[in-house]
Amino acid sequence: MKVIKVDPEKCTQCHTCDLWCGIEIGSTSKEIHSAIHEKPQPVPRVYVEGNNFPLHCRHCEVAPCIDACPNGTMRRDPQTGLVYVYEPTCIACWMCVMVCPFGIIAPSPLIHVAVKCDRCRNMEYPICVDVCPTKALILEEREEGATWYGYAPKRSF
Amino acid sequence: MDFVQRKTEDSVVDHFLKEAAEKEIPLVWDRYEGSLPQCGFCETGLNCRDCLQGPCISHPFRDQNKMGVCGKDKDILAVHSFVRLVVQGVLGYLDQLTDFAKSVEAKEGSPKRKQEADKILKEIQSVLGNGNTDVLKRFPKTLIDGWKATGIYPDGIARNLFKVSQKLDGGVGSIEENLLWAFKGALVGCAAQMLQERLKVAVFGDTAPTNTEVNLGVLPKDIPVVLLYGHFSPLLKQKIADVAKGKKVKVMGVCTDPFVGPYNFPPVTNYGSQEIPLMTGAVDLIVTGDQCVNPSLAGLAKIWKTEVIPAEVLNRGDLGSFAKKIVEKAQEAFRSRGEVSRDIPNTKESAVMGFSAKDIDVNKVAKAVADGKIKGIALLAGCNNVKLTQDHEIVSIAGELLKKDVFCVSEGCASVGLAKFGLLNPKKRDVSCGKGLLALLSSLGRNVPAVVDLGSCENSGVTDFLLSLASAGKAPIKECPMVACFPEANRTKAVARAAWTVAMGIPTYFWPFLPVTGSQKTMDALGKFCEEKFGAGLHVITQKMESKEKVDLLLKSLTKNI
Repeated sequence: MKVIKVDPEKCTQCHTCDLWCGIEIGSTSKEIHSAIHEKPQPVPRVYVEGNNFPLHCRHCEVAPCIDACPNGTMRRDPQTGLVYVYEPTCIACWMCVMVCPFGIIAPSPLIHVAVKCDRCRNMEYPICVDVCPTKALILEEREEGATWYGYAPKRSF
Repeated sequence: MDFVQRKTEDSVVDHFLKEAAEKEIPLVWDRYEGSLPQCGFCETGLNCRDCLQGPCISHPFRDQNKMGVCGKDKDILAVHSFVRLVVQGVLGYLDQLTDFAKSVEAKEGSPKRKQEADKILKEIQSVLGNGNTDVLKRFPKTLIDGWKATGIYPDGIARNLFKVSQKLDGGVGSIEENLLWAFKGALVGCAAQMLQERLKVAVFGDTAPTNTEVNLGVLPKDIPVVLLYGHFSPLLKQKIADVAKGKKVKVMGVCTDPFVGPYNFPPVTNYGSQEIPLMTGAVDLIVTGDQCVNPSLAGLAKIWKTEVIPAEVLNRGDLGSFAKKIVEKAQEAFRSRGEVSRDIPNTKESAVMGFSAKDIDVNKVAKAVADGKIKGIALLAGCNNVKLTQDHEIVSIAGELLKKDVFCVSEGCASVGLAKFGLLNPKKRDVSCGKGLLALLSSLGRNVPAVVDLGSCENSGVTDFLLSLASAGKAPIKECPMVACFPEANRTKAVARAAWTVAMGIPTYFWPFLPVTGSQKTMDALGKFCEEKFGAGLHVITQKMESKEKVDLLLKSLTKNI
């Protein structure tokens, strides 16, 4: 499973990743000069909030959002292992927003669904990785069933 | 921003691009592609680094990050990025003026019209000192009254420019207030350019339209070549040409004023391809100013064993001996560079350049406009911009306008771009112009090409032309069907230039867009607010357009003006 790896040493907090995420993923026009003026304002899926660490969805092995979702809207793609929101069934209860340990799920003001980073799963390459000028963001293979302090979590589906 | 698929319209440049790719020599296009994507905040004007608490941005998608640390919101940030460009551009014009004036004051040359030169020098000193901007009094009274009413009539370089630059530091001025200060600053630049033109005429005598040749084919194969890059004191250029004349050294120019009486320096190429002349191997020495010169030249020149000498250095010494040293070095370089092969393409184009306002009978132009023989007048300016295919925009826009009977005047690097494609060659005017325009051009003279070049950006030819047109037409400039277009703008000077063109009441179109697009209010202020105040707006267009659509836009703006 490929995930986005962040190198805080290289991040300069330039906000290029969340700007382009907002344009490419969040906006309807997909074009910088129009996206800027869109109302309601587009929601980027990545957060650059101090400490040189752009926060993305970690696509947790044990994903609290999937466990908390009452109707299976929050899903894991069986092929890629990426966690995503199946928008048609989202009832905007915001359980996932509450339980996410990283705070990366946001309520969308436009269509009343939860929005989160799906690592651009329908695109060839995540836009944030593509635009990062210092290469602080890179796409890297994560080992299946990687352990965390010797504890191998059971993946939630 | 996208990759530019086609780098240039100029086949000669294209030839060398292939060679550069084979030899892996990075040129401007490669560096541009390497820097993509460019910073979105800077591109839209939503950034600021005017103090050490920053750098700040206004994030279009984040509520906690809408303002800079000091509280500049997106509108102020955008208008400030416009002010910043204008200030820097105006400083460019002032730098040119002081450079020239200082060397005349130091008696480095002998002015042809001593009294006039002294008078202008005095005027320049007072502009720099106590704030006399009398040269602007040559504008029509209605225009000046309008400027005074809005408060943008300048009252001195020092006072105004210091004030404009401090607008960037803070204060609670509105978008409109900031914008008006930018226009006030721009008019100072206009005054500086006019003074420089007048001093040039006083020192070197009147200029006349001159036959010259452009493009890389003008480089000679068997004698030493000195290339003058960018802007520096015309007296130094004259001295270099003086020394070179006796020693069989050819002096030519790139992005510089090609006419310093009695010499002319054929333009080898224009801004976008300024690195290409080096690739011919036929350049023995380069003398550079600062303005309009790519710093990459120093590194690239080493590949072809060419020395680059900056003209704007501390303790340069007197111009005469400096010029002598330059020419000697060029001769020496020519001898020692024997092993460097000289690959000179034989593409060149003849052109008539260097018109000044007095060379054109404005009464005939005004009459043709009044009779509806021509649709209007278009000013074409600006250099090249790597974001657009070199020369493509300006040449296709000019071509279309000429066919639609629009009288086109151009200046600076825009002229060189047009000259490369034969639009400044009087012999070729028949094929490129519409009937009405052709009749006007033939009545103006046999030597008048399709597009009339009114001098480099060191000359105020365009401004003087407008002034005489306004007095001939007996109507305010804003009521004439006129439009200004910067199809491949690049330097900050072009932004300042565009600002004062708008202040004169001429609608101005600018490509690529200015970094103000982050704020709708600032874009509206540049358009609607300026239209209210001056009768013309500075139009910032963000959507992608083919050159044909751009021409339609320009034509529409012409008809609106009638």
